[in-house]
Amino acid sequence: MSSPTGTPLVRRFILALVCLGGIHYAAPWPGPQAVLNTFLVLGLAPGFTSPLAGVAWAAAGGWVLEGTLKMYPHLGGTAFGNMLACLLAFSLILRWPPHTLKAYWGRQAALVIVHALLVHASVRFAAGPHAWGTGWLWSLVLIPAWATLALRLHPPLHRK
Amino acid sequence: MRQRAWGWNPTGRRRWALAVLLLGHLLWMALGRGSSNRWQHLANVLAAPPRAASARWEGWKASRRDKVTDLRQARTELLALRAQVTGLLTAREADAPRVAEADEAIRLLGLKKLLPLAFRAARVVVNVRKAPFGGMILDQGADAGLSPDQGVIAPEGVVGRLWDVGPTESSLLPLDAYNASTGVMLARSRATGVLQGLGPGKAAIRYIGNQEVVQVGEPVFTSGLDRVFPRGLLVGYVSAVLPHDVELHVEVALAAPLDRVGLVLILPAHPQMELQPPAGPPQTAPPGTTGKQAGP
Repeated sequence: MSSPTGTPLVRRFILALVCLGGIHYAAPWPGPQAVLNTFLVLGLAPGFTSPLAGVAWAAAGGWVLEGTLKMYPHLGGTAFGNMLACLLAFSLILRWPPHTLKAYWGRQAALVIVHALLVHASVRFAAGPHAWGTGWLWSLVLIPAWATLALRLHPPLHRK
Repeated sequence: MRQRAWGWNPTGRRRWALAVLLLGHLLWMALGRGSSNRWQHLANVLAAPPRAASARWEGWKASRRDKVTDLRQARTELLALRAQVTGLLTAREADAPRVAEADEAIRLLGLKKLLPLAFRAARVVVNVRKAPFGGMILDQGADAGLSPDQGVIAPEGVVGRLWDVGPTESSLLPLDAYNASTGVMLARSRATGVLQGLGPGKAAIRYIGNQEVVQVGEPVFTSGLDRVFPRGLLVGYVSAVLPHDVELHVEVALAAPLDRVGLVLILPAHPQMELQPPAGPPQTAPPGTTGKQAGP
């Protein structure tokens, strides 16, 4: 694990903060909101040098998303699923750092599916049965956008 | 020296924090599946202060909103009531002349019932009594069978006599005209004389001997000797008595309000009937009397 450099870490922090605000303010549009949440969990959070920081950002994204949805009787499921998915993405980046864009897209597509399953399972565990929704589909379709942004504009610091 | 993965070093502390974070979430999710009464109770306790503050704040806003609503309603009602009052005042002012005329007509009707004579009612259309050679114009004339020297009375007293009769209207010579003469008598002494006008609202009795006893405030009635008015109609009240050579100068305040009379009754020509005057004089003297008493 490489030591964090100042400017990319600050930029990543600011981008994650903007993403968190976007999740909050995109509440009327669940599709784009899910894309922002996926981008935060799978694109930005695994890029932090500390897994604790990444997991904390992923959890924050999950809490904000559920808080704005106001659908579940008991919150916390999305945050837990986000944390697990973030840890998974973090370990994958550590073991197999991405070198090509297409491979990164494919990995992110698989992670989106896993992330959706984890979130669905944890929300079902916490709050009971609920609708699947189409957020995962939005995230899957828009991978070329958010995954490219995550890799090229803010490449994971582990690659350096 | 290699650090232990789960020891008390920066890496270990981060791992412990990560584990606590994950397990905390898992525990939270697991507890939320069961009975949530305890959590709800805890949440209610924690939320009590802000809930109380919010309730007070909402109550204050509701009270203020109600006050504003009440104030608006009160202002609207006030404006409506003002418009209503203005309308009523305007209607009352518009009806005032008719009400006054109706009151006068009622009094005339009472007088007409009291006196068994064939009256004819008339309306004063012009009253320029205070102008030089002025008089009063009635809306009845020869077409109504009127003729000069018919007496004219009001509920308060004698007004005057017809002076000139036109086709549709006639002029009235009031009692206070300088050229008006009316046969009168005093209520107590029954002394008779001739009433001559002295100006607006006043007249004087001539030919009352200085041996007569005349009291201020004494009523003056028509004597019937002039064949214009029947005997016993109220003319006015004695306002002053002054000795003057062989006769008394008796001033009379006329009873009829000549300035504001609107409806009058016209007596038939040459009434033959004698009317019984009221029994006693009024208790209070009319204003402007001098209180002087004269005798022989």
